[in-house]
Amino acid sequence: MRAQSRPVISMRGIKKRFGGVVALDGVDLDAFAGEVLAIVGDNGAGKSTLIKILTGVYQPTEGHVELDGKRFVMADHSDAISNGIDAVYQNLAIADHLTPAQNLFLGSELTRRFLGLEVLDNARMETEAKEVLRSRLGVELRDMKVPTESLSGGQRQAVAIARAVRHKDLRVLVMDEPTAALGPQETARTLDLIKSLRDQGLAVIVISHSLDDVFEVSDRIHIQRRGTCAGVVNTADVSVEDVLGLITGAKAAAA
Amino acid sequence: MTTVSTAPVPASSRGMIARIEPFMGVLGPLVMIVMIAAFMGVFEPTRYFRLSNMNQILLDAALYMPMAMAMTFVITQRGIDLSVGSVAALSAIIVAFLMKQYGFPAWVCVFIALGMGGVMGLINGLVITRLKVPDLIGTLAMDLVYRGFALVLAKGLVLARFPDLITEIGRGQMFGILPTPVVIGLITMIAGYFILRNTHFGRYSIAIGSNPEASEMTGVSVDRHKVYAYTLMGAMAALAGLLLMGKLNAIQATSAPYFNLHVIAAVVVGGTSLFGGRPSIVGSLAGVLLLSMMINALVTLRIEFFWQSVASGVVIILSVAAYAWLQKKDRDGAGSIGAALANPDNRKILALALTFVAVLAVLMIAGALLATAPAASG
Repeated sequence: MRAQSRPVISMRGIKKRFGGVVALDGVDLDAFAGEVLAIVGDNGAGKSTLIKILTGVYQPTEGHVELDGKRFVMADHSDAISNGIDAVYQNLAIADHLTPAQNLFLGSELTRRFLGLEVLDNARMETEAKEVLRSRLGVELRDMKVPTESLSGGQRQAVAIARAVRHKDLRVLVMDEPTAALGPQETARTLDLIKSLRDQGLAVIVISHSLDDVFEVSDRIHIQRRGTCAGVVNTADVSVEDVLGLITGAKAAAA
Repeated sequence: MTTVSTAPVPASSRGMIARIEPFMGVLGPLVMIVMIAAFMGVFEPTRYFRLSNMNQILLDAALYMPMAMAMTFVITQRGIDLSVGSVAALSAIIVAFLMKQYGFPAWVCVFIALGMGGVMGLINGLVITRLKVPDLIGTLAMDLVYRGFALVLAKGLVLARFPDLITEIGRGQMFGILPTPVVIGLITMIAGYFILRNTHFGRYSIAIGSNPEASEMTGVSVDRHKVYAYTLMGAMAALAGLLLMGKLNAIQATSAPYFNLHVIAAVVVGGTSLFGGRPSIVGSLAGVLLLSMMINALVTLRIEFFWQSVASGVVIILSVAAYAWLQKKDRDGAGSIGAALANPDNRKILALALTFVAVLAVLMIAGALLATAPAASG
């Protein structure tokens, strides 16, 4: 499945302490282009902390992140975005009263000059939003003028994903519990979306509690347990029981 | 690639209320405006619909237009500003002194007033965002501060007779027929509409009110845009202060006492949601007109001035309650009094209310029975 042998992004010996609590203790992680990497683990295993470090929200206490094999330090989340790393959060970070296009461009609106003033280019944002949703995600919204709150869960998710993939140089997309709030049909659609993003050459990192979804969509699984990596396995080589065993600690790393 | 088809809800199945909901901001006040017009058409048609009275309504409404525009942004961000009356009074008092005692030219003073108001609004914004004082308490306290400064400066003085420019702003005519304040008010409204639709500030105001955490996460500078909103509010309050000063050709420290609630009422009646994210500039304009028509109607009907306060309060409660009801997804099961009484909580509240009524009734009867001849007070 790997399109290239060198990882797009890797984490080396990541440690993170919050006061006296050690959230992560020497974790390594590699993500390759054109691959879906799932991160699974129990509550408090350090999944969220791990991806927050990956997306620049937290800074590691020890260890470092490499982008294309080069060491790379992020001061905050915007550093991650400008280097092609973005995340879709579980709560989607969508303003319900804005339209899909307004949400898609929230925080980085397109502008034009009008009487010497810099004003929002609403028409262009709507066309481009439509284009991103259609060409990258295969989603057609019937009405782009309605508030996002009137869309279905899956459509809202698509808007949140579109905000990340809108950047042409996006290379790593992190998704936190993308299917947690969705029904079966919407889940299937979202998993299809993830696969199509992978086929477009993105490195997709998915955090999920649903092992069904993980086995459906991922190429490799990274199992977190009590702040350390309990193993990284190829999805094709293992069963759900193997992964469950690694999550709970009933089974030592086989890989 | 998979194509995710969307299943739009057909408009017909959503019901009447859902379909008109986006337009409620304008429809609500319009319906009430028509009702007031119809009512007055029956009871006082000649005096209410005189051209001079229509002009009076517009002049009165113009005073509140700039503030209603700015308050729309503040409320859209889930904020509130309870200091606008004092900001208007203090900035007007300051420039009144500059003109009367120090001979400053009027046109400079107009801009000084706007700048002063802006600074006062900026302070409000900093109190809320930097000192983390909740907007309700922060602006209420700053209201005391600004009013206090106005009283300190003006003592009991009424400053009157200002240069022509000031009275021109407050009650002049443009092009022979259009009152200047109405033109100024409408310009601020149009500017507000443009700012809301076409600037980062407008877009982010909605985003902040809709979902502050999401706005923060997507890189919107929440605190900065809150400060902008309060600064705009302050400047527009100062403009209202100028309009008031020009209209009356006089100003004193206790001027503009009811600005706060009147402006908030106009904005809320106009459909801007107090819960944030849902602005309506056109609705705010309609709300301002509605309140002015209502108050003018009370005056025309020769109802005592103090009833205005009662009427404004009732209109605010009714309109907010109506919007809350419209927002409610599940409207089944409500409605019948019997159903409401089946709820033990409601029964307890009813018992509490009845107890109060009974106790008060007993006290009133006891008071009446034991009453002696009243002595002159004082």
